[in-house]
Amino acid sequence: MPSFFKLSQRKRLRSKVKQQKEDPMKVDELTEPIYPLLEDQLSFIKRKTGNSADVVVRKASFDEKLGIKTAVVYVEGISNSQAINEFLIQSIIMNRELHRKSPVKDPFDILKEEIVALGDIKIHLEWDGLFQSLMSGETIVLVDGCSKALSASTRGGEQRSIEEPGSQVTVRGPRDGFTESIGTNISLVRRRIQNPNLWVETMKIGTVTKTDVSLVYIKGIAKEDIVNEVRSRLKRIEIDSILESGYIEQLIEDESFTTFPTFYYTERPDIVAGNLLEGRVSIMVNGTPFALIAPTVFIQFFQSVEDYYSRAYLATSLRFLRILIFFISIIAPASYIAGTTFHQEMIPTQLLIAIAAQRETVPFPAFVEALIMEVAFEILREAGVRMPRAVGSAISIVGALVIGQAAVQAGIVSPAMVIIVAITAIANFATPSFAVAISARIIRFLFMVVAATFGFYGIILGILVLAIHLTSLRSFGVPYFAPLAPLVPSGLGDSVVRTPIWALKKRPSLIANKENQTRMGENQHPRPNKSRGMVPRNPQEDQE
Amino acid sequence: MKRNYLILTLHLILCLLLAGCWSKKELTDLAIISAMGLDLNAKGEYVSTLQVINPSNVAGGLQGGGGSKGPPVTVYTATGSNIIEVNQIASTKLPRRRYYAHTNLLVIGEELARKEGIGNILDAFERNPEFRMTAVLIIAQGAKASDLLKVMTPVDKIPANKIIKNLRFTEEQWGEFFTINLQNAIKDLTTTGKSTVITGFSVSGSPEQGKKLENIQDSDPETTIGATGLGIFKEGKLISWFEGKTARGTGWILHKLKNTGISFSWMDKEDAVVYQVIREQTKSIPKIKKGKPHITIEVKAEGNIMELRMPADLTDPLVLLKMEKEIEKSIQEELLLALEEAKKNKTDIFGFGEAFHQSYPKEWEKLKEEWHDVRFPELAVDVKVDAYIRRTGLRNNANELQ
Repeated sequence: MPSFFKLSQRKRLRSKVKQQKEDPMKVDELTEPIYPLLEDQLSFIKRKTGNSADVVVRKASFDEKLGIKTAVVYVEGISNSQAINEFLIQSIIMNRELHRKSPVKDPFDILKEEIVALGDIKIHLEWDGLFQSLMSGETIVLVDGCSKALSASTRGGEQRSIEEPGSQVTVRGPRDGFTESIGTNISLVRRRIQNPNLWVETMKIGTVTKTDVSLVYIKGIAKEDIVNEVRSRLKRIEIDSILESGYIEQLIEDESFTTFPTFYYTERPDIVAGNLLEGRVSIMVNGTPFALIAPTVFIQFFQSVEDYYSRAYLATSLRFLRILIFFISIIAPASYIAGTTFHQEMIPTQLLIAIAAQRETVPFPAFVEALIMEVAFEILREAGVRMPRAVGSAISIVGALVIGQAAVQAGIVSPAMVIIVAITAIANFATPSFAVAISARIIRFLFMVVAATFGFYGIILGILVLAIHLTSLRSFGVPYFAPLAPLVPSGLGDSVVRTPIWALKKRPSLIANKENQTRMGENQHPRPNKSRGMVPRNPQEDQE
Repeated sequence: MKRNYLILTLHLILCLLLAGCWSKKELTDLAIISAMGLDLNAKGEYVSTLQVINPSNVAGGLQGGGGSKGPPVTVYTATGSNIIEVNQIASTKLPRRRYYAHTNLLVIGEELARKEGIGNILDAFERNPEFRMTAVLIIAQGAKASDLLKVMTPVDKIPANKIIKNLRFTEEQWGEFFTINLQNAIKDLTTTGKSTVITGFSVSGSPEQGKKLENIQDSDPETTIGATGLGIFKEGKLISWFEGKTARGTGWILHKLKNTGISFSWMDKEDAVVYQVIREQTKSIPKIKKGKPHITIEVKAEGNIMELRMPADLTDPLVLLKMEKEIEKSIQEELLLALEEAKKNKTDIFGFGEAFHQSYPKEWEKLKEEWHDVRFPELAVDVKVDAYIRRTGLRNNANELQ
């Protein structure tokens, strides 16, 4: 054993050395200032980008007499080529006489002030910054003889348009969903919160991918401590790549040894806006439509955004239903096992006889039977998700025939077990949050094991362990089970129940800024006229 | 540190497996006993009869199962000198583990109930955690418990279920017999001022034929079982049977009656009118008058006229009042009949003694010595009945045939 560890340590060291040698971005050249000669500049760029085909270099010169040579460099596909053509190349070529008008000026300044007709421009003195700009879709303008470069924001290119989100579909509510572009996503949120206090802090994470990650919050509503904590955790990340917000989630979460998510993720801008208004912060990552929301409490996973749009009574009863669903999806097979192998006295006689009759021919103990069926179902589900769409229907037919018909007719599983698996599966699909549904899937098997070992006693023990585990979790310091444990009476209005909007006067007190908790004026309860008559159609009539 | 945690978790998981499956019992390993019978044989030993359910012959079963259907229950018997022993001996014949949690019926043979009484037997059932104290207790009237449990019954395929439901619905609709479970019986047995009453079921037809599956293939089964009498106990032993009006009178006094039909004569025609009781309230009020115990039974009945076989003007309140008087008379008759019979048998099945115990604890100390044998038979009882006709049905008058 010890020798194995040593070996792996040596390996790790070796690979570190290798990395340093091979990583082109870490070479010192990049921190050097930009070379003065255009030829050198262009050849350096070409060398650094490995002559990649999508890096376009367009040489042009302005001012005929002096013949100042310039070059425009951009990456095709991630930049807006129309803007480059119209506002850069065209204006450089058209303005040949400029130098004569103001002969004293440095050609670089002329370029900056009079030629480039684009909004966001930056001046780079070092290669490092230049490459970052270039690779994010900006256009670089180089001038012969100047050891600096100008970059103009021309980000663009082909993107997916805003569509209805695939997950978290609602009947009532906005239809737009996030896309892969972070700029679009932030704009969708800003359109909902038209307030200068909506702050967006952007940073680049990933030594190789240089992914844009934005920390979005509402200044004054979000708790300063939480914002600082999120920021510092994001700053701590040292990784080569961030391809999805899941990377960020796993790198900054409070507790990694759990199946429960301590982040809420969504592709709906209205959910992000609503959470920002409750004082939460959102982390958006370029390249994914899924934004993270923190701090998260457990009860959030049982709340659908539609709850806030529909009437309070309906929303409350639906929340009760969802909690019931969660319990069913966790303990339905476990209860079946416990009931039929330990506590037959708890089942009504007639039902017991019916189950016993079905189980007469089944050759397995109840636990093994349940395990076979649950695993078979999980296989089917996984196959259904991964299969190409054209073959998907074949899976469902085979699954229905094999599990529903043949297995029962062959007497390998009992019909009661099929019912239990079906209820569990449907309950699992009905859980509003996919993240919690997945953890319920795993926990279900643990519950089946304890049920097969100790019966209902084991199930209760399991629930206790689960409750202890859940209450021990934290999301950015906020207890996961708040506002139920610890009990925050003011937060109960929007927990298991949802009181009407006019009764939700306060933001969640553990999450939002202490000084800014009230979200509405007094007496927001609707107070229509007491008279039983209709609203007067003509105000004059009313006066008479 | 991480490795330590891993090892710890592994140990915990292994612990879980070590525990095995404590007291695990698979459904396919259980012999679900629906009813149990106890008899006394010629040698004075106990004979236990276990009615075991064959689940696949009861439930619809699996489609495509096919084959000829067997009996819904199988009966096993064993002999031994005490209850536990006799049941454990039964395991020599049973293919599965005996499971008493669904035993809802306990049948005691008449011979055993008369000779030995039920007091000593019930202890074993009360001690066993698996056995339900809500199990119904009945006596096999004029038969052996084993004969009763072997009879195949139609409609409700499990004979035990048939008996329990039979008893429950006859109690609700006729009131002559009523359900006594183990708990009630034990409570009565341990009370000085009250004797037990247990319903008796008897077999009509040949018990041999009743055992066969053909018995339920007839539309008119040759052998049937039904409630036939009310067993009257004294000091835990069966001494007599009440039947008919006497039995129903007992039901009235014990306030067990829920719904019954009282018929009385009208215009000299016997049983011409039927009065259906829908609500009933009985109170037994103990008093000590001049040092002597005295009981007043107050009955309040409410019901409808259900049948009229002689002309009567039911729209006339005076007629109704007259009818009420008749009803009161016939109810009083039944009550007095039951009282008289109980006094003759010298056993207080109505719990009057217990009523005195609660109302006059000091006097009871003196009374209880010879309560059943001396005090109860000479107890003065007043019966007051108040009947009320609530509705007379959809018709005003009876059909007058031309």
